[in-house]
Parts: sequence; C-alpha cells; structure tokens
Amino acid sequence: MLKIQRQSPVSFAAEAIRTEEREHWNIVLEYEKEGEGPWLADMSHRPRWDVQDGNMASLSVFGNKVPEKPNSCIYCRGTLINRMNAAQASVWHMDGEPQKPAEKAYTDTADAGVFLALAGKQIFSIAEKLTDLDFLNPRQETPFLVQGPFSHVPCQIVVADRGETGESPFPAEKSGLILLSCSRGYAHDMVHAILDAGEEFGIRAAGEDKILNELRRIFSG
Amino acid sequence: MSVSITCPVCGKRKGYEFRFGGEDKGAKPEESVLADPAAWCDYVHMNECRAGVQKEWWCHKDGCGTWFCIKRDTVKNIEVK
Repeated sequence: MLKIQRQSPVSFAAEAIRTEEREHWNIVLEYEKEGEGPWLADMSHRPRWDVQDGNMASLSVFGNKVPEKPNSCIYCRGTLINRMNAAQASVWHMDGEPQKPAEKAYTDTADAGVFLALAGKQIFSIAEKLTDLDFLNPRQETPFLVQGPFSHVPCQIVVADRGETGESPFPAEKSGLILLSCSRGYAHDMVHAILDAGEEFGIRAAGEDKILNELRRIFSG
Repeated sequence: MSVSITCPVCGKRKGYEFRFGGEDKGAKPEESVLADPAAWCDYVHMNECRAGVQKEWWCHKDGCGTWFCIKRDTVKNIEVK
C-alpha cells in the first residue's frame, strides 16, 4: 500500500535531533544548537481551518464562541480562534489532540499554507525590519490578530506575547511570540527573509517543542 | 506617495494593501430598467469621474478582505471624512 507523506513547505539547514511521525507529517521536535533565541519554527503541520458563516455570533468552534471583535483572538484548550472580519475566522490548533470539525462552515487550510512561529527575545526588532505593521500598539491586548503584509506577503499574524512589563512602550527586546500564516508558495522566501533579518540577533531554527513550551508558559494562566 | 485608506476592520493602512472597486453608484437599479442593453451598458461602464470628492468602493485585499466605501478627493488623492 502506498504510504502517504505530507510535506512541509519549510526546511531548515539545521540538524534535527528529535523527530516524530504524526498524521503523515515528519515533525522536528528539536534541532541541534537551538541556542538562547530568538527562534524560528515551522508549525505548518498544525491543523488549521477557516470558518465562514453569516451569523458568527451563534457559531461554536469546539465549544468556544468566536471572538466578537475583528482582529481579536481567544486561546482555549490548545486552540487559537482568530476573528478576521464580519463573516470569517481562522482556527489554529496549537497543542494537544486536534478535534475534527464536521460542520460545513469549516475549510481545512493546513495543506494550502505555511505556518511559522517566531519566538524569544528581539523578535519585534526582527519583525520591524520586515513590516511596518504595529505589533506593539499598547491599545491592543495579547493575543491579537494583525492582517497585512509581512515581507510584502499578505499574512495573518497573531501576536501571542510581547513580554509586557507594565511599562509603555513595551521594551522591544523582551521575549515574545508571533505566529504567522500565509500561502504555501511563499514559504521558502518568507523563511529566507526572516532568517536573514534575524541573523544580527542570532536567530536559530527551533523544533515544535520550543514553541509549545512558550505557548504553555504564556497561556498557563 | 500612495493614498492612505482607513479599513473599518484594520484601521489606517497604505493604499498598496487595497484594491480599488470603482465608484459607488448606489443601489442596483431594478431588473426591468437594466433589461435594456443601453441602460445596462451605462450602469456597468459609465462613471462620473468626478474631479473632487467621490464615494468609492475599496477592498482590503492584503489584509482582512473586507469591502467598504470611503470618500476620496480625486484631485489631492487623499481620503476625506
């Protein structure tokens, strides 16, 4: 019987030291010499859906209500729900066993996109080299969604954490977490641009475990 | 320098992120009116091309994908309230 193999559009030059086979993806859990950060990780294997409905207020996503306000997000039981506009939301499964939606409102987008995580210190200094979108707007509480060009590519970006200390403006060198999703075809160039912009800050490739640890730390409260 | 446009979802962004959707021509006329080919042609193709403030459709194509209307001064190429 033919073995199905799902292929991430992202590959790093770093040596993988721990991998796992899951849902036909070959997933790197840890790379050699990940260092102290900042890190770029490929999360393209995580299940993702777009949800579209004329009445989003009445829609339940795995038992959770979709956030009312566009560009706001909620993280619940390992799933991030991002309200995009009046009729659409994106659902990113980040942690734990994914549920499979049965409703017609869902479109599986995992194989059509690339999903990256930028974590650790100085990530906002890296991001500001690639986009003029404002991730440090103090009027927006994390997690929040930003929809716009990152390295000239239309993206959905979730700022999950920005190392807030109560100070305003937030110190850009603090540790944070940005999740970024765009069309699959941009994967190679997007990774190249982020690694190039992050070179001066010592960016390294990281495995899934590093990002999951960050997520659990951020959303443990 | 490109026009800045205020998306109702994402806020003020550069004009490069948007797609122009034409002048706002109001509600679509009744089918009986548009049954006449000349009326249909006028409705689809004829624009006022106003030198001044006009109401226009725009789509935030690189962002949230929302279609919305703004008023733009076509002489100064700036969004007006």
